[in-house]
Amino acid sequence: MKIRSFMRQWISDWYSVFAKELKNIFSDSGVLVIFFLAGLAYPVLYNLIYSNGTLDGMPVAVVDLSGGSESRKFTRDLDATRELSVKYKCEDMGKARSLMENRKVNGIILIPEDYDGLIAAKRQAVISTYADMSSFLYYKNLTMGVNQVMLAEMRDMQSGILPMPVKYEENLPYNRTFSYTIFFLSAALLIVVQQTMFYGVSMLSGTIREEGRYGDLLPGNKSHRGVLRDVFGKSTAYWLIYMGIGIYVAILVPKLFGLPQNCPPGQIMALLFFYVPACVMFSLTFSHLVRHRETVFIMFLFMSPICLFLTGFSWPESSFPGFWEIFSFIFPSTFGVRAFINMNTAGASLAMAGEQIKALTIQFIVYYLLACLLSYLDCKTFEARIEHTVGNDAPDAAGYDIQQPFTDEIIPDKQ
Amino acid sequence: MACFHSIKEVVSRELGLIRKHPVCVSATIGTMTFCMIFFLTFFKEGMPHDLPIGVVDSDRSSLSRNIVRQIDATQIGKTVSFDSYRQAREALQKGEINGFCVIPPGMYNDVLSGKQPVMTFYVNSLYFVGGALAYKDLLTMTNLTAGGVQRELLLAKGMDIQTMTGLIQPIAIDTHQIGNAGTDYGVYLTNVLLPGMLEMTVILATVFAIGSELKNGTSRAALETAGGSIGTLIVGKLFPYTVLFTAIGLTSDMVMYGLAGFPLAGQIWGIFLGTFAMILASEAVGIFIIGMLPVLRLATSIAALYSVLGFSLAGFTFPVEAMPPYIQGLAAAFPLRHYYEIYVQEAIFARGFGAWSGDMGAMMIFLLLPAIVYERLESAYRLQNFPKK
Repeated sequence: MKIRSFMRQWISDWYSVFAKELKNIFSDSGVLVIFFLAGLAYPVLYNLIYSNGTLDGMPVAVVDLSGGSESRKFTRDLDATRELSVKYKCEDMGKARSLMENRKVNGIILIPEDYDGLIAAKRQAVISTYADMSSFLYYKNLTMGVNQVMLAEMRDMQSGILPMPVKYEENLPYNRTFSYTIFFLSAALLIVVQQTMFYGVSMLSGTIREEGRYGDLLPGNKSHRGVLRDVFGKSTAYWLIYMGIGIYVAILVPKLFGLPQNCPPGQIMALLFFYVPACVMFSLTFSHLVRHRETVFIMFLFMSPICLFLTGFSWPESSFPGFWEIFSFIFPSTFGVRAFINMNTAGASLAMAGEQIKALTIQFIVYYLLACLLSYLDCKTFEARIEHTVGNDAPDAAGYDIQQPFTDEIIPDKQ
Repeated sequence: MACFHSIKEVVSRELGLIRKHPVCVSATIGTMTFCMIFFLTFFKEGMPHDLPIGVVDSDRSSLSRNIVRQIDATQIGKTVSFDSYRQAREALQKGEINGFCVIPPGMYNDVLSGKQPVMTFYVNSLYFVGGALAYKDLLTMTNLTAGGVQRELLLAKGMDIQTMTGLIQPIAIDTHQIGNAGTDYGVYLTNVLLPGMLEMTVILATVFAIGSELKNGTSRAALETAGGSIGTLIVGKLFPYTVLFTAIGLTSDMVMYGLAGFPLAGQIWGIFLGTFAMILASEAVGIFIIGMLPVLRLATSIAALYSVLGFSLAGFTFPVEAMPPYIQGLAAAFPLRHYYEIYVQEAIFARGFGAWSGDMGAMMIFLLLPAIVYERLESAYRLQNFPKK
């Protein structure tokens, strides 16, 4: 009987916190901008920015000092690759270099004077390439294009004389063309979920702190037993909104923009069921660091690119320095993004993402408890402050209904 | 002279505000310090070493063991052996390995009898750097293996080394990396990411510094200190921040090109000037945002959305010329894009001011942005006429 009434109370408390938080969210334009404008528009924007995916026909200059039939053939073949387009043929390196400096070409191929002679004499010839390193894609395109042509020429010359002892077949199953779109978006999509949520949650809790509406931030229960249900009620509100945004970002956006979807949507949904709650608890915990509404961006916007790198999408996880590897465990995105890349794009099953799911579950539990603990501590400090400042004339402490904001904290001196 | 006096008044008032509420300044310093430490230590290796690459050896011959040794011998790769294709494929899908090769059963015998066995390799190109390097490593390894077998065959025929090299590898490629000879990934990214972080911080701090007066209702008092001129007020308010940003910006340049030894073909002064121009341009963008939207909370949200895009649109990862035309135009609206162009001309090509004066001009155009919102900002400061909630 006692348990039943406790449960009933618990659920009713949970529901009222949940409903109140939803109302808070939808009556705050700044938060709506972050949740919905950023959450919905960023994936679209990134798709537009990277809509081409690859850098095809990168302009290069060829300095052909040999000028024979072999070197001309090499030049023609270079132009025929998908990666490169021979825009200029220069007589000397000086001209080619100035083209590169003026950003007319992003690579130079130098065919030496003795090229045709050496090839005819069946001796090794050396071709030099010069890559503009201002973007690694230039370097990659130049190297891949030139290597392809070199290997094809080599096969040609060897055919009939020196058979290839071993043949090879290459497969790049998940991103055949090294498309930047697939690479970047696979990682960025779920980062958007975590980061916009964290900024929005922090803005809301910053506002509440700033306005001194501690009754909204803290469990409205004198004995603080309500912390667990309070945090749970709030998190349900964010969870509900972000399951919607998550489905849009992780399932709809890839469909709309033709990104690979090698995993049944049901399994991606299942991943979201672990990722979104971990993000909610993470956000609720770390929002305690934000004391004012607008400071969250100044303090933490830089973490968005950092979180992206910590997923290992670019610099490989196996080369993370030890400290940063451990640091990366703080963020749900580290695991969520890896699981998403592997499942959505590489076609791994949910079971194969078991390790990440486990990590997300641990994060959920740890951050839930941490969020509760921090709320409890906040509650204590606040109570102590009321007693200290207002003495016996404290307003109804149960509601913490204090209209007077803590002016000493936020309002600069009125001159 | 009165103007200078007012500016001085505003500056000392601003210093008082900063002392009382240091969040903006400490966040700026904290962010940049963290980012410097992060980027300089995260990419410390320059190029990833010992990437896990799988091998499914169904042949187990001296030749296949030689292949494994070849991969281990390169700095890039480190082999992980798998018993079956299925296991290796799952490890690839889980992102545990960057690629793997399958050595078919009886390969060595097939080679000896001239049957041209087929070796297959698989690469996970979803992880760009790891994928591209594993791909390169596997290609090199295959060609080395083939070359090794050919060499043995030719040696047996009594051919001399020079002729043999001409036959096995008739064309060799000698690659030169202009501006980053060591193909250092950290150098490449940090050079633009750190200034990008600075741009972001400057915009946000500017919006915050100007906007918090509006929010806290102190704007009229501030305007009075400035003798009623919004221009004087902004110059005075931003002066201490500009000094701070410049100090941080130049420190970060010196850390990169001095302490960390990043290659710099041109002059450090060029980089300094570019950094300073980017700071001013970013401040102008900040003023523009808070002027258009004199509500602090909306302005900070918009400033955040804008500055995050700056990283993508600078074009150092995916080049701007490969983006759709309308996006290319948008890229010019970010100071970081122009800073990147200056950096390329100075640090990579050492071409001096003449080559990047155009981008300096573009940065100066940003400085006209505050003029557009001058009146709006003044009336917001004077009348507090904007939605409060």
